[in-house]
Amino acid sequence: MDQGAVKVKRDKKITWKEIKRQKTLLIISFFVVIYGIIFYYWPLTGWIMAFQNYKPAKGILGSEFVGLDKFKFLFEDATFLRVIRNTFCMGALNLLTTTVMAILFAVLLNEIRSSVAKKTVQTISYLPHFLSWIIVAGILHDALSSTGIVNDLLLRANIIDQAINFFAYPRYFWPIVAFANCWKETGWNAIIYLAAITAIDPSLYEAASIDGAGRLQKIRHITLPGIKPTIMILLLMNIGNVLNAGFEVQYILGNGLVKSVSDTIDIYVLKWGISQNDFSLGTAAGIFKSAVSIALIVIGNQLAKRAGEERLF
Amino acid sequence: MKKKKVKSSAGSKVFTVLNSLFMIAFIVITLYPVLNTVAISFNDGIDAVRGGIYLWPRKFAIKNYQTVLAMENLITGAKVTVARTVIGTVSSVIANALLAYVVSRKRFIFKSQLSLFWVITMYVNGGMIPVFMLYRNLGLTGSFWVYVIPGMIGAWNMLVMRTYMLGLPDSLEESAQLDGAGYMTIFTKIISPLCKPVYATVVLFVAVGQWNSWFDAMLYNRMKTEYTTLQYELMKLLSSVMQQSGNAAAASERGSAAAAVTPITVRSAATVVTMLPIICLYPFLQRYFITGLTIGGVKE
Amino acid sequence: MKKKAATLFLASVMVLSALAGCGKEVTDSNAGGDAGANNSVADAGEITDFTMFITMPGSEINSDNEIAQLIGEKWGVRIKETWLTGQTASEATGTLIAGGEYPDFIDSDDMSLLVDAGALIPLDDYIDQYPEFKEKWFTEEEWEKFRQPDGHIYWINPFGNTKGESTVTTHNDEAFWIQARVLEWAGYPQIETMDEYFKVIEDYIAANPTMEDGTPNIAYTILCEDWRYFCLENAGQFLGGYPNDGSVLVDKDTLTIEDYNTSEDTIQYFRKLNEEYNKGFVDPESFTQTYDEYIAKLSTGRVLGMVDQWWNFAYTVNDVFKQQGLDAMGCNYVPLGLTTEAGMENRWHTYDDTVNQASGVAITVDCKDPDKAFKFIVDCAMDQELHDLRFWGVKDVDYSVDENGLYYRTDEQRMNWSDTSYQASHRCQYSYMPQWGGTSDDGINANKPEEQPSEFQLDMAQPLKDCFAAYGADNYVDMIGSVVETNGPWFPMYSYSNNFTTETPGGVAWAKMGEIKHEYLPKVVMAADFDAAWAEYMEAYNACKPEDFLAEMQAILDTFK
Repeated sequence: MDQGAVKVKRDKKITWKEIKRQKTLLIISFFVVIYGIIFYYWPLTGWIMAFQNYKPAKGILGSEFVGLDKFKFLFEDATFLRVIRNTFCMGALNLLTTTVMAILFAVLLNEIRSSVAKKTVQTISYLPHFLSWIIVAGILHDALSSTGIVNDLLLRANIIDQAINFFAYPRYFWPIVAFANCWKETGWNAIIYLAAITAIDPSLYEAASIDGAGRLQKIRHITLPGIKPTIMILLLMNIGNVLNAGFEVQYILGNGLVKSVSDTIDIYVLKWGISQNDFSLGTAAGIFKSAVSIALIVIGNQLAKRAGEERLF
Repeated sequence: MKKKKVKSSAGSKVFTVLNSLFMIAFIVITLYPVLNTVAISFNDGIDAVRGGIYLWPRKFAIKNYQTVLAMENLITGAKVTVARTVIGTVSSVIANALLAYVVSRKRFIFKSQLSLFWVITMYVNGGMIPVFMLYRNLGLTGSFWVYVIPGMIGAWNMLVMRTYMLGLPDSLEESAQLDGAGYMTIFTKIISPLCKPVYATVVLFVAVGQWNSWFDAMLYNRMKTEYTTLQYELMKLLSSVMQQSGNAAAASERGSAAAAVTPITVRSAATVVTMLPIICLYPFLQRYFITGLTIGGVKE
Repeated sequence: MKKKAATLFLASVMVLSALAGCGKEVTDSNAGGDAGANNSVADAGEITDFTMFITMPGSEINSDNEIAQLIGEKWGVRIKETWLTGQTASEATGTLIAGGEYPDFIDSDDMSLLVDAGALIPLDDYIDQYPEFKEKWFTEEEWEKFRQPDGHIYWINPFGNTKGESTVTTHNDEAFWIQARVLEWAGYPQIETMDEYFKVIEDYIAANPTMEDGTPNIAYTILCEDWRYFCLENAGQFLGGYPNDGSVLVDKDTLTIEDYNTSEDTIQYFRKLNEEYNKGFVDPESFTQTYDEYIAKLSTGRVLGMVDQWWNFAYTVNDVFKQQGLDAMGCNYVPLGLTTEAGMENRWHTYDDTVNQASGVAITVDCKDPDKAFKFIVDCAMDQELHDLRFWGVKDVDYSVDENGLYYRTDEQRMNWSDTSYQASHRCQYSYMPQWGGTSDDGINANKPEEQPSEFQLDMAQPLKDCFAAYGADNYVDMIGSVVETNGPWFPMYSYSNNFTTETPGGVAWAKMGEIKHEYLPKVVMAADFDAAWAEYMEAYNACKPEDFLAEMQAILDTFK
C-alpha cells in the first residue's frame, strides 16, 4: 500500500499548490530539522578531533593536525583489536539470545488459555526492565558470588563440590552478560511480539484447527510467519546497534581477571579517551564504531530489500 | 479423523504442562532476585555479609531504610526526578508525535528524507566532548533543562509512533480533509485520540528512561545539588556507605561512616526505594502499551 | 470509565507533586539565600559559597551543617564538597576537562592534566602574599617540587605536615596486617618473613575454622580493584627492604632506578602467594571483589590477614569492630614488618612528613573569588581555632577541656563524633584542605583527636593492648619496627609517575604496564604452574616497553644528583 503512495509522489510534480497545502507539515519539519541539526548533527563536527592532537586548552580550532596518526595507533594496538572482538561477539550473542528468548516467551505466553494467568505472568515479566543496570549488575553480582544463590543451589544439588567464583574465569563472562540481558529484557521485548501476534487474523487459527493442526504446527505455520515482519525489522534496527552492546554491565562486572574478554570499545574509549585525556584517540575509536554500525545497517537493509522483506528506509 | 483428534489433544496436554512449567520457572527466575533484594534490605548489615538469606530477613533491621531516607539530598533528588519525568515525558511525547505524524503523511513531499534524517541519528554521534561543548554554549549545563531538551526527540520513539500511525486507515484523513480540516486539526482531533495506546507506550519508554537516569546529572550538574536526581543520589549513597579517606599517598584523617549497614544491605534498600514508584505505576499503563507497541518499516 | 478515572487521577497526582516540588524548591532556595545574607552581616563580611570537587569517594555534608555555618560566619567561606561517584578518579577528571567547567576548588590525582587544559590558576603570587604561611607550610625545596615545567605552582598538598612534636601512634602506611587474636593464640611469636606469617595463619585456621558465631574464617584476602590494587602489586618493594617509592625502587648509593616488578623479592612474593592460593588459603574472591565488598568482608572480623594501607581500611573497619564488640574478641589488625629474609631492615613505615607533590588543592579558572579562596586555604593551615573546629569540633559540645588545658572526650562525645548522621549535620572537616598532624599551638593537645595519646589509649581494646605489650610496643609504629631514617629528597617517586600522561612514551608505557599488571598478576597467583604463568606475564609486561618508563623516571632522579 505504501508503494502506491510513493508512486503518486514520484508521478506528481511538487507544485506550489501542494507546498501551500502542506504548509503546516513543512513548518513542523523545519523546526524538527533545526532541532536535529543542533543536537545530533552539529556535534559531529567534533570528529575533526580524531585527526588532531586535541588539547582542551587550545580547542578544536587551535589544536595541531596529525592526519591519521590516531587511527594508526588504534589499529596497531593489540588491545583495541581484542576490544573490537569482545564488543562484536557480546553484541551478537546478546542480540541472538534476547531475540530468541523474547520470541519464545511471547509465543508460549500466547498459548496460555487463562487470561488471568497470562496477565499475571506478563506483568511480572517486565519488572526487571524497570531496574537500572547498576541495580541489575549488583543483584547479579550477589547471586553469582560464592555465597550467592547459584552456588548454593549447585552445591546442594551436588553438581559441584566447591563454590565457583564465576567472575574469575573469562569463559563465563559472555554467557553471564547474555543472561543478564535476557533476564532484564525478555518480558519487555516480548511485548512487541505479543502485539504482533494479537494482530494475526484469528480466522487463520480456526481454519488450521479445522484442518487438524496441532498447537506446535499452528505456532510454526501461523504465529511465526505472522510476526516475521516484526522480527525482521527489529533485527535490522538492532544489527546497527551490535557495537553499542556494551558499557554499563561490562564496566560494573568486569575485573582484572576477565579484562581480556570484558573490555568493550566504549570502555576502551573511556580508559584512553577520558581517563588518559587523549580525546582524539577516543573520538577516533568512536568514529570507527559509527562507521561499522552504518555499514552493518546498510548491508542489512539491502539484504532485506533483496529478500523482499520489511526494511528500515 | 477421530483418532487424530484424540492424539492432538494428548499432545496438547503435554504441551500445556510443559508450557506451564516453563512459565513457572520464568516467574521464579524473574522474581526471586527481586524478593531476595527486599529480604536483604530488611536485614542487619553485618549479618547479611555472611550470606544465606533467601526470601526472609534473618536479623530484622530497618536501619538500612533509615540510612537511605535520612539523606537530605535524596528529597531534592526525588523532586527533581519527578519534575524531569513529568516535564520530560510530556514534551517528548508531543514532539515525537508531531514528527511521527508528519513523516507518516503519505503525501508529504519530504517524508522519506525526513525519516532517513532521523534514522541516521540512531547510529552516529559526535562523542562526549562536542556534545558537552554544545550544551555549555547553549547554556544547558548547570540547569534543569539539560534533562529535558536534548533528549526530546528520539528516532526510536518516533519510529514506534510512525508505525502505529501508518497502520491507521487513510480514509480518516481523507474524509476530514474533505470536510475542510487542516493538518493540525486532523492531528489533534482525529489521529491523536486513536493513538492513545502508542502514546502510552512512549510515555512509559521515556518515563522509565528519565526515572532511571543519573549519568546526565553527574556529567552536567555535578556541582549543582539543587538539580541532582534520585538515581544519582543513590549512586552517591552506594559509593559513600563505606566511605574512606584516602589520598593514595598522604595520611588524611577522617572518621568513618560505618554503622551496622553495609553496601549490600544499603544497596538493597536503595533498590527497593527507587523501584517502588515505577512498579506502582506500570501496571496502570500496561493495557495501553500492550496494544500500542508495534514496529514496522517500509516495504515496497 | 473507571480505569480512565484512575489514569487521570494518577497523571494529575504526578503533575501536582511536580508542581509542589518546583514551588517548594524556589522558596527553599530563597530562604537559604536570605539566611545567608543575614548571617553574613554578622561577621567577616559576606559568606561566599565555594564548590570543591575531590576525586575520592566521600560523604557529603548537609547544606545546613552546623560547623560549616560557624566557619562561614567567622571566616567568610562555606564550601560545598562533591566527591567521586560512579567513576574512577581519572575518568572524573577527564570528564571535567572534557566539559571545561570547573568547581572553585579541586583536588585530583591528575593535576598535570588539569594544568594542560588550562583549568588552574597559578598560585605563586598568592603564596607570596602570605609569607608566614609560605615559610611554615613547606620548605623552599618542597615548594620547588610543586613548580610545574611552565614555572608556576598550581596546587598545595594539604596533608603530611607535622606541627610541633610528632605524636604519631598509627602506622599510616602499608603492611602485612594480622589479627591480634591470631598472634595471641600462637603465643605472640616473632614473625619476620612471609613463610612465618602464613604458617601462623594456617595453623590458626586449622585449629579455629570458624569464629564464635560460626562464620568461617578467611585466611588471607587481597583487594585489587582499580588503583587500590597496591594491596597486591607492590609488597615486593617492602619485602626487599625498600621504602614506599611506589612505582620504582631507588638505589640510594648509585642513584639509579630499578624495577621492582621484575625483582627477585617480587617474584618470591608472588611465588608464595601462588603457593598459598593453591593450598586454598587465599580467598578465592580476592580478584573479583570490589572495594565495598572487601571492606564489608573485613568488617565481619573473619579475615585473618591481608596487605593494605592503614588509611584504606582502618577507619571504617575499626569503628565497626568497636560497635559490634569484635575488638574485644581480638579482631583488630596489627602490622608486621615482613622482609624476604629474616633479620633484614624494613622500611614499611615512613617517619618523615611525606610531601606528595602529585596532588593537592587547587583553585580553578572558574573560581568566583580567587583571593578569598586562597585566603581560606591559608586560614585552614594557619588558624588554630579553625583547625580545632574542623578536627575537634565545638568546645563543650564535642570535647571538653580539663584544668590543664588538655582536650578530652566522653564516650558519648566519641560516639556522636563517629555517627553518620551527626557527621552530616554537625561535623565539617574540609578534609582536603590543609591540615596538621602533631601538636597544636597550645603545646598540649594534638591537632587531631586520634593522635592525642590519652585518646589513643582510651580507644584501644584489651586484646590489642595485650598484643602491643607482648611485643614491647607502645603503639602501631613500634609494632612494625621500621628503621628510622630520612628519605632522599626525591621520595616518594610515585608522586612523579602519578603525573605521567600519554604524551610521552614513558607515560604510554606506564599506562599499559598498569593494564597488564591488573590482568596478569591475579592470573599468576591463581596459576597451577607458577613459572609458566610468570613467563607469560613477563612476555606481556616487556611488550609494554617498561624501559621507556624507567628511563623517564631515571631522568627525574638524575635531577637530584
